[in-house]
Amino acid sequence: MSDYDPGQLPDLLPIYYKRLFPFELFCKWLDYGGVKNGYFRNREFSFTLPEDIVVRYQSFISASEFEEEIKRRCPHKIDIGAVFNTSPKSYRHVTLLVPEEKELVLDIDMTDYDEVRTCCQGADVCARCWRFMAIAVQVLDQALRDDFGWLHLLWVFSGRRGVHCWVCDASARQMDQKQRSAVAEYLQVVVGGESQGKKVNLPGDRRAVEIIETQFETLVEEQDFFGSETKVQSLLAAVKDEGLCNEIKKALDKCPATSKHRWKEVVAVIAYQKSRGQLKWRTKNIKEELILQYAYPRLDINVSKGLNHLLKAPFCVHPKTGKICIPFNPKVVNNFSLTAVPTISSLINEIQEYDEKQDSVLNSEARQKMKDYKKTSMNKNITVFSEFLRKLEDTWRGKMIEISDEKMEF
Amino acid sequence: MDFRRQQRRVIKSEPDKYAELYPHDLQLYKIPPDGIISLDEFQDFAYERLQVLRIIEMVNIREKGSKDGLEELRRSVLSELKKFPELKSYAKLICATGCNSSEADVALRRRDHISHFILRLAHCRTEDLRRWFINREMELFRLRWFSLSNEGKKKFLQINGLDYKPISDAERLQLTGASRGMVSSNYEYYQVPFIEVIDLVRKRNVFLKGGYAFITSNDFISVIIYVYRAFLAHELVVTCRKLPQIEAMDERVFRDLNHLPKSYTGKDFTVVDDKAHVPIESLDSLSKTSYPMCMQHMHNTLRKEHHLRHGGRQLYGLFLKAIGVTLDDALRFWREEFTQKPEIDHDKFDKQYAYNIRHNYGKEGKRANYTPHSCMKIITESLGTQDQHGCPFKHWDANKLKSSLLQQNIQQIDVQEIMDLVKDGHYQLACTKHFEAKHNGVAPDGGVNHPNQYFEQSQAVLRGKQDNIKKETPRVKPVAKASTSVKKKKVDEDVWDDADFDNIEF
Repeated sequence: MSDYDPGQLPDLLPIYYKRLFPFELFCKWLDYGGVKNGYFRNREFSFTLPEDIVVRYQSFISASEFEEEIKRRCPHKIDIGAVFNTSPKSYRHVTLLVPEEKELVLDIDMTDYDEVRTCCQGADVCARCWRFMAIAVQVLDQALRDDFGWLHLLWVFSGRRGVHCWVCDASARQMDQKQRSAVAEYLQVVVGGESQGKKVNLPGDRRAVEIIETQFETLVEEQDFFGSETKVQSLLAAVKDEGLCNEIKKALDKCPATSKHRWKEVVAVIAYQKSRGQLKWRTKNIKEELILQYAYPRLDINVSKGLNHLLKAPFCVHPKTGKICIPFNPKVVNNFSLTAVPTISSLINEIQEYDEKQDSVLNSEARQKMKDYKKTSMNKNITVFSEFLRKLEDTWRGKMIEISDEKMEF
Repeated sequence: MDFRRQQRRVIKSEPDKYAELYPHDLQLYKIPPDGIISLDEFQDFAYERLQVLRIIEMVNIREKGSKDGLEELRRSVLSELKKFPELKSYAKLICATGCNSSEADVALRRRDHISHFILRLAHCRTEDLRRWFINREMELFRLRWFSLSNEGKKKFLQINGLDYKPISDAERLQLTGASRGMVSSNYEYYQVPFIEVIDLVRKRNVFLKGGYAFITSNDFISVIIYVYRAFLAHELVVTCRKLPQIEAMDERVFRDLNHLPKSYTGKDFTVVDDKAHVPIESLDSLSKTSYPMCMQHMHNTLRKEHHLRHGGRQLYGLFLKAIGVTLDDALRFWREEFTQKPEIDHDKFDKQYAYNIRHNYGKEGKRANYTPHSCMKIITESLGTQDQHGCPFKHWDANKLKSSLLQQNIQQIDVQEIMDLVKDGHYQLACTKHFEAKHNGVAPDGGVNHPNQYFEQSQAVLRGKQDNIKKETPRVKPVAKASTSVKKKKVDEDVWDDADFDNIEF
């Protein structure tokens, strides 16, 4: 993997947009088969240009205009906003510009785990803290599908330390602010600010407990959740119940001071108290509540609530890391490797290497016909994206038939 | 709403027709009223209902977060209503059980019907008014639904075409397993799209599968509220559009109507008095003497950490604006703190944070002058796991709250009282008690319902002391007190000038 240097970005971006960015698929996605008039045309895009200049309310008449503009301006970042009642670019100063639809988006950022993760803080991420992300993806993917019945979920790596999910079903896109915030709060099981010790109160998400439980012990060890006195204190604050805390304290005094042993001990104390019928109504789910508090997805729900909230588009390049915001398959999120995420420089090298190797075999004409991304490791992410699109296409194919049936045009 | 109908002659003999029109104590106000009423009646109807809505709002704020349910809420509302003899009919409506239709009942229902429509006219002009009106009407509706007998509820659902069919036993059995116990086999369940019961979804109080929620008959109110809310919101917008036409017909009606909502809404603290200019150098001392705890905590956290998360910046920033910190001072204040963090330099501050501060002062974006958050908003907000803001009485662990109170030199006995209030979920009363403890027992007028109100009243009390004026009561502005003492006379003396209405958006 070649090293990325942020200073090169202005030189690399034009090549990336020219040769690699999947414009065709991207615009096909946002057009949603043209079922609704103006869905692409009235969509807000926002560009971040060099020097962190943000231009909002960009919109484009067609996919080709979009492509041209991007290639011309080479934005460091592209954000996708809502679909408005009219073209945001021409009517941005008109008060009647109202956001009408947008995908429901979820944003999980590693910094929201700073309270529980111990391997890194802030902007840093490593393979160990990625386990939190993997759990988050599994839990949320299942909740969105099973509970809400949504099928068209696009999971995207956010470029540095988190993931985004775009829920693209029509029923999700049509939700208003109130409905979005209800869904977001439903998915937010860990609540309460800095000054509150216990942050989960069941009946929460029992299915999530089942998903997390299988990996929880590994997580406890990797993260060293209870390795120090202060960490034990925050564990006790999360237990909250005084009687139970005392029992746990007693047991912990006697056991080896590692996270693994301590957690085993806590589980044992809870099980013992339960078997004796000593758990009160408020502590009867305490084990599950602890598991959720330490590992349940922590959403930035404000991103999901707003109909008008911007979110970085898939296939953007993260300016600091050079990593591509690649779509991935949530089913194999456990295999997702942060270090294997392609960077803009690695991709461009891959094209060159490929071309050089093939020079001897193929003539240049045949080579040119081949899409550049196919020569790179991003190819498999594009496959994920087109697979997602293929399923989405079925929905609008059905819709178009319905519409033409209504009009009696054949 | 069509007022032309008022002038039409009524053909059918009235009592018969009304009995048919109003078969139930509760209604969804789908059709505008028909018939003739006098202008006096028209106004009386409007004032009465408005007063009822204000009372419900006030009680709701007072009891917000308290664990006692609707029963307690209803009792409080009724005891407030009793203070006003003219509102007896509404007390009766709120207690009504369903479809026993005496002549008096029918007359009441008609009054309910007409007054609802008059207030629609008065509250359709702006988004804020509409939202206020819808929320109050929902609260009123919820209370009244709660009073209905089982028979009454059933009848209501029938009349309004909301009678759902329960799912089959086999389906229910299957769900009992899948829901891990959330669907019990003891009740009948009904399947509705989840967006119709979002208040249950929000709290995870319902089992969801494939986009459908499975509810019991106890949850029907959520569905009805959803349907009613959507309907009312739509109708208000439609009314607003038709307003110019209706207005042109009889301006007498609108002369008072336009003043109606404005004259009773509590102060929203958006507008800062010109006189009040608070230098940022005084914030440290003010935070000790006159800040409510939520703001004290914001101030101390900012001084200590040199940073606040987004929610905290919004909360504290708007509070500062409303106590009289100028934009320039605010920028300086935040910059001085934030840039003490190694990773934030002046450039980064200007890029990342300054915009939001100017935005709050209405200098960026849509240039709205934002209102500081009220207690209700702060208390009901759901916090992210690392958020520092919020209502200390609601969002803090008991231990932390207690030690913080003791640090402020509040008497042990007062601390205990505050902790007891918190335990029962009376966060605003706890804050009121905090005020009393810090101001030698002087109580804030009308209880604490806004951090800025806390501040203003605290300042008033302290100023009173300084001036050495021996007054029994401190010089405080009658904030939010208007809610209960609605008097018609007040409107006539109302000082809102016409200029205010030029700014109303349509």
